[in-house]
Amino acid sequence: MSANRESEKIRLGFMATMEVDGKGHVGGLLVTSRTGRPLEFQCTTPVKPDRTQEILYGRSLRPWLLGELIGSTLLKRVAIKPDMVIVRDEEMLELRKHTDTPVACLHEAEASHAESNSRTVGGRQLYFHGEHSADSEFVESRAHLVPGQADLEEPLDRVYEALAETVKTVLTR
Amino acid sequence: MTDETEPPLSVPNVICAATDLSLNIDTIACGFNPALQRVPQLDASTIPLDIQPGFVPSWNPRKIPVKCIGLTLPEGEDFLPSPEAKETSNDGTNLRKIEPRKNSSDEAPIAKKPKRTRVKPPSGAVSLQDRLFYLLQPPLETWLAGQELIMPFEPFPYQYEGIAWLFARHSALLADEMGLGKTMQTITGIRLLLRAGQVRRILLICPKPLIPNWQREFRMWAEELPVVVIEGNSARRRMLWTMPGVPILIANYELMTRDLPEIPAEERPKFDLLVLDEAQRIKNRESRTAEVARNVDRRRSWALTGTPIENRPEELSSLFEFLDVVPARASPDLRQLSKLADEHILRRTKDLVMSDMPPRIDRDALLQLTGAQESAYQTAEKEGIIQLNDMGDSITVQHVFELVLRLKQITNFDPLTGESIKLERLAADMEEIAASGAKAILFSQWTKSLDWLAERLQAFNPLIYHGGVPTKKREPILDRFQHDPHANLLLMSYGTGAVGLNLQFASYVFLFDRWWNPAVEDQAINRAHRIGQTNPVIITRFICENTIEERIDRVLREKRELFEAILGDGDNDNVSLSLNANEIFGLFDLKARSEDGAHSIGPSKSNAA
Repeated sequence: MSANRESEKIRLGFMATMEVDGKGHVGGLLVTSRTGRPLEFQCTTPVKPDRTQEILYGRSLRPWLLGELIGSTLLKRVAIKPDMVIVRDEEMLELRKHTDTPVACLHEAEASHAESNSRTVGGRQLYFHGEHSADSEFVESRAHLVPGQADLEEPLDRVYEALAETVKTVLTR
Repeated sequence: MTDETEPPLSVPNVICAATDLSLNIDTIACGFNPALQRVPQLDASTIPLDIQPGFVPSWNPRKIPVKCIGLTLPEGEDFLPSPEAKETSNDGTNLRKIEPRKNSSDEAPIAKKPKRTRVKPPSGAVSLQDRLFYLLQPPLETWLAGQELIMPFEPFPYQYEGIAWLFARHSALLADEMGLGKTMQTITGIRLLLRAGQVRRILLICPKPLIPNWQREFRMWAEELPVVVIEGNSARRRMLWTMPGVPILIANYELMTRDLPEIPAEERPKFDLLVLDEAQRIKNRESRTAEVARNVDRRRSWALTGTPIENRPEELSSLFEFLDVVPARASPDLRQLSKLADEHILRRTKDLVMSDMPPRIDRDALLQLTGAQESAYQTAEKEGIIQLNDMGDSITVQHVFELVLRLKQITNFDPLTGESIKLERLAADMEEIAASGAKAILFSQWTKSLDWLAERLQAFNPLIYHGGVPTKKREPILDRFQHDPHANLLLMSYGTGAVGLNLQFASYVFLFDRWWNPAVEDQAINRAHRIGQTNPVIITRFICENTIEERIDRVLREKRELFEAILGDGDNDNVSLSLNANEIFGLFDLKARSEDGAHSIGPSKSNAA
């Protein structure tokens, strides 16, 4: 495959977490082709902070847990590295502090973010970590590789389903 | 100036006096003061602590170990991009073309979630990785219509569901009613499996006349897939069977049965998927065809048929045995068959899924034989019954069957005079049909009747399509029937024309004589009443009153609903029993001499023209 064609590829990562009753949080990362075809999936077993961590981290507990702990572990674990990671939970933008990969959060309809820090990709608006404004330019430069009406939210639903299936299977063993 | 001298100023006399300001302070001895001036006495002693103070974790608390479970999905084949989609379908279907996706940054965000058809893991998928594989697949609408695999037309929702169902199954019997697009669903399922890297080599077996149809459909729905047809002499066929790198092989049943057993076991080809089209061909598990099909080395087995049960529920057992979901020689009862059907059979009828499809209007044309026909018929019947009675216990179902055939032929036309009430009625109807520019298909059991009709209906430029027509000439006939506005009538035999053809541009179907099994008649009717049909389809069954045709019709009607228990509601039009020996004897008030009253006596379709 020519270098030119290779540069025209983009791999998208879709990361989500869910809370399992009494067991903590599980996280999943689905890496897809530009058209949403699955390439690799990694998920964690439940991760539960202890009481000390809950007290010491306070309000920063969830960003630390979801972004740094679960998110960066998943990102390190995948063999097929995504060019960008898309999340639905704003607290997961914390992940960006621990990786060089751009992380974007799907824009909720009611949310309002500065236009300069958001980009439209695949028909959906994305916004980025406030300390990494360069991500916006990077994503814009690759946005043409994502089909215009690709639904960037749909793969996250797949991640949730896969997480639920994993939890059901692993916890019933 | 004055002379007066003023007296000099006198110096004031200042007197200083010292005053003693000191006060005498007297202290009163009270006893405390010496104590205040004393240095305090200090003393230290060691007190042992009961417990050592502990240290909580530092501000950099221990890292919680995170365990991961992973799945890498096969990337699949990289196919060449499809060229531009065709404007029209080869078979005249009138489906909505999918617009190419735009890639514009100023498009409005998606306001409404489109319908999504997701692949569900089959109940047989036990391992987590298997289940995740299916769960992580994108919705078919995205996958197919979106960006990667171009589809020439938008599939119907039930077709998406069928594709998703096939995709997730190793053992599947797609039993949609004729005309609902089993071919397209199968091709797309294959395409997705190839793309997902789940299969590499596929064998598709179908009746010989349907091979051009499959080739055409592959070109339309998956033109990027190379398809090789097994044909030629035995050396060439051997080469094709074992040639590596061919994703899709198509062969007819006869060549599969003949060629595969001859290939040494170690060279015998292995397939990831074996598809049997018109799978009722293996309904007899004892047949050589069924045995060879079961012995093909394969990982997945799909069977396609619009009539999973033509005669007896046991026919399903043979299909389930092919699908590897029952042990060899198993004879599941009706309850077990029903349970297996729930898991492994997908069947939809037009009534259930195509509410907007034009109606099918059935009408029975009850006709009175002409004088000459009546006379010939009465004579033949009278003599026939006398002969049968004279045979005593040596009578067999075959003897009765021959009489039935003779009488049916007379109801078509009197061989001596050529009189035919059916021809008269047909000609009258055709006048009207031709005048309106419409097209009609006529089915008969006999090629002789078809040729006879063709001679007498020249005004309508009839085309003949039956087993006597060489395979290479068949496609041009169908093509002319579709495109020549003056060709209004296509004369077909049940055996050759009943399955696999798309003739939805015809709005009239005549059943010139009746087949033994309504399921076969329905297959014939559904050549016209299928997806893409835009007009109501009028079905005319010619039945001569007070003849064997009327009696056969009555028996068949009574049997239509017997299989609902297996195949579910809404399915009472297409499965039925054909006549068994007892019933054939009963047509003439005779009793079967054989114990085996359940034996079907209708001609096999392979013997039909």
